[in-house]
Amino acid sequence: MILSKSSHLPNPAPLGVPASPPARRQRRKLPRNASLLVGIVLTTIFLAVALVSFFYLPSNPNIPVIRNRLLPAGTAGHWLGTDVLGRDIVAQLMVGARTSILVGAGGATLSLILGLIAGLAAASSGKIADEAISRGADILLSIPGMVTALVLAATMGSGALTTILALTAFFTPSFTRVVRSAAIGVLNEDFITAARLYGRGKIFVLIRHVLPNIAGVMIVQFTLYFAAGILTEAGLSYLGVGVHRPSISWGLMLNEAQQQVGISSPLAIWPGLAIVLMVLGLNLLGDGLRDVLDPKLARRAS
Amino acid sequence: MAIYILRKLAFFLGALFIASVAIFLLIRGAGGNVAAVVLGKGATPEAINALAHTYGLDRPMAVQYFDWIGNMLSGDLGRSFRTNESVADLVTARLSVSIPLAFSGLVLGLLIAIPVGTYAARNVGTPSGALLALVSQIGVAVPVFWAGILLSLLFGVRLGWLPTGGWTDWSVSPWGAIRSLVLPVLSLGLIMAAVLIRYVRSAVLDVMNQDYLRTARAVGMTRTEALLKVGLRNAALPLVTIVGLQIAELIGGTVIIETVFSLPGLSRMMLANVAAREVIVVQSTVMLIVVFVISINLIVDLLYGLLDPRVRATR
Amino acid sequence: MSQENAIEVRNLVVHNTALTAVRGLDFTLPAGARMGLVGESGSGKTLTALALMGLLPMGWQANGSVRHDGVDLITQSDRALSSRRGRTISMVFQDPLSSLDPVRHIGQQVSSVIRRHTQASKKEAERRTVDLFRQMSLPRPEQLMRAYPHEISGGQRQRIMIAMALACYPQLIIADEPTTALDVTVQKQVLRRLNTAVQERGSALIMITHDLPIIAAMCDTVAVMYAGKIVEMGPVAEVFRNPRHHYTKGLLDSQPTMDNIALDGSSRLASIPGMVPPLHSLPAGCAFHPRCAAATEQCMSEVPTLDDGPRRAACWHPIGATVPMEVA
Repeated sequence: MILSKSSHLPNPAPLGVPASPPARRQRRKLPRNASLLVGIVLTTIFLAVALVSFFYLPSNPNIPVIRNRLLPAGTAGHWLGTDVLGRDIVAQLMVGARTSILVGAGGATLSLILGLIAGLAAASSGKIADEAISRGADILLSIPGMVTALVLAATMGSGALTTILALTAFFTPSFTRVVRSAAIGVLNEDFITAARLYGRGKIFVLIRHVLPNIAGVMIVQFTLYFAAGILTEAGLSYLGVGVHRPSISWGLMLNEAQQQVGISSPLAIWPGLAIVLMVLGLNLLGDGLRDVLDPKLARRAS
Repeated sequence: MAIYILRKLAFFLGALFIASVAIFLLIRGAGGNVAAVVLGKGATPEAINALAHTYGLDRPMAVQYFDWIGNMLSGDLGRSFRTNESVADLVTARLSVSIPLAFSGLVLGLLIAIPVGTYAARNVGTPSGALLALVSQIGVAVPVFWAGILLSLLFGVRLGWLPTGGWTDWSVSPWGAIRSLVLPVLSLGLIMAAVLIRYVRSAVLDVMNQDYLRTARAVGMTRTEALLKVGLRNAALPLVTIVGLQIAELIGGTVIIETVFSLPGLSRMMLANVAAREVIVVQSTVMLIVVFVISINLIVDLLYGLLDPRVRATR
Repeated sequence: MSQENAIEVRNLVVHNTALTAVRGLDFTLPAGARMGLVGESGSGKTLTALALMGLLPMGWQANGSVRHDGVDLITQSDRALSSRRGRTISMVFQDPLSSLDPVRHIGQQVSSVIRRHTQASKKEAERRTVDLFRQMSLPRPEQLMRAYPHEISGGQRQRIMIAMALACYPQLIIADEPTTALDVTVQKQVLRRLNTAVQERGSALIMITHDLPIIAAMCDTVAVMYAGKIVEMGPVAEVFRNPRHHYTKGLLDSQPTMDNIALDGSSRLASIPGMVPPLHSLPAGCAFHPRCAAATEQCMSEVPTLDDGPRRAACWHPIGATVPMEVA
């Protein structure tokens, strides 16, 4: 440990024309990274299932077929059986994947955009703006996400869109803080000073130099918040303040299973398993990407 | 230290103010006309106006805001539109469920996470360390309500040791109340632990590479002794911050777990009021929860100042 | 016989799975003697010190034998070693700020060492700590007891570290670049305190530094390390006056003195060409040969060993040898 302090020094900025930031991150080859691999596989499977659900479903997951109620797993045409109204579980899980991804990615994307704007503004503006944005983010962070979601559900009515907005309200402050500190790190590097001396405007520097250099951190964070969004959506739908029929969510399925057939039913297993695998996949993907894209962070966190 | 405390107090008050404005605007702004929301579709404009007038909802927003804050400060949290019950009474009845649940869940999480995370840090790169990392990675992905379902499936349905839900009040039977809380606390604690283990592990790893730990050993402590006596005290600093940040998570988890186990806690009341569009009750309850979280954060900050002499001096 | 010596190191090797950083060290330090260990960064000085203390970082391992106080330290368990560390053998580290516990009072950190290794009561230990601070010429020792490391100056911190290391009158104290992290203005003061304190206790001293004047002032003998090996050792005055190894000579020539510093660019300050070779690709033969003006075919293939006598050097063509070197 003592003897290996050599690498990770930033490349010197090219003299004269500071057109491109140091591209040191791209040069790292993908290491043999088990968590990345498992993460990619799991995530791809769920994305594929969600995609397929638009073109093919074993049967309509919302139309009750009473004579088919509570079929056991392994029944022809219903691999995982049916629920109390005779609706196919596989079909419901497939549509549930769609909801999870839509809501999770939607919330993560919106908060990423807002967090980028606020975080870059905080990092590049004066001390007062920075203080105001950072403190504001701190305060918003102390409002529990679940509470925000409940308030929105109370006032706007529940649904996928409300859930996305609740996630956005919940994640934006943390995104802002991550963007701010990553951007400040980049802004303190020499090639930025060089670019400013060269006469580049603030916005140009932010877009051309800062953004590409914090992209790695952002991708990692996006993945992790995507996962957190899926967990939160499942929780809200389980509580009955997230999405509801005809939309289907894994959390909603668990709620229905517990209310209608009791927890000893296998119906209380499949949606939970789906949530765990999808969230695990995204978290592993995020951790794996962090090792590849963001060596500085990886050294601290692992 | 005095300046540090004053600064933190100022931030605390500022946070309370901004959060209250945010909640007020969110509820009044996003919902549009509160009276219309409460009465639902199909209400006549006359009925809406009458309700608005009774509750002072037709006054200017600023007046309503300061009225609300003034009442809250004097302990009046408002009344339910439908039943006219006092929100303060509703809330206090529920706290005897929610507070023990949330608090025990957090304590259990820490009791698991600190030793396990420390063990994981000391065994980085070994099979047992890798196994622990995997287990906590999976634990983080388990939704807390599903953990609750699985646990009550095992201990309630299969083994029949504990109730799968419902509540026996403390006044009826303290032992019954505790039995009703075991599985909820276990679910909450295990999920909290999965999250916290990763933070403990990285905090301890960080401390293990510090020069002062080597000094502790250089003057006569064994490796383990140095880690426990010097290391944990220093690792506690980042952990205190993390625990503060996890309070919001904890409350989210408590809301869900109360539903899983049908416990008559604060959050079940909130959910019922959300469904019934009891805007005033929701607004006051939310504010109470936020006051609680911000107060915890103040305590965390003060604790941090107490633990770390450097913070006291510089900030 | 071995009780007479503060430490006897035989064939010490320090390695991890990929690298060998210390490649067979032999030296003996009589009780109360003072040895300087010099070399560039990466020569293995610090790892040698940590190996003697049994404090190697994770992944590093020491082989060979290190006899001290009647036992072989290499074979001792962490528990057995811990009862000696701070009592019979102790160490002063390079950076006193990061080496002191940031959240405990200084007085507590020092007095706990005394309480750990002696029967002293809490009060007695505190009294002795104040005495130690006074010996170290620390200002207002009573108030200092309740100060935190970040509240005092770097020079004071390092004197605290020295007080901690010397609190239990160790037979051997290892100082690893104790003044490198300090302001030039306080270096001398700290060294003077260290010097007197070691003298009063009759402890042996291993002084690790790349600063040759410090060695000249404080040590009896000097060992010069290069790429994990001792290349020359002997009495300080003789080694510095008449170095036998070309590396030692290079080191001496590259030391600035008042008369060879010239700011107008006509400096006569020499430097050794090339760089310390990385441990994973050491050259064959004498590790110094790529940088040595006197290297021959033999130097590139055969590893020189330390010759015997009071003025030992590991060189095929030592300076001042009777057989003059021919090929350059």
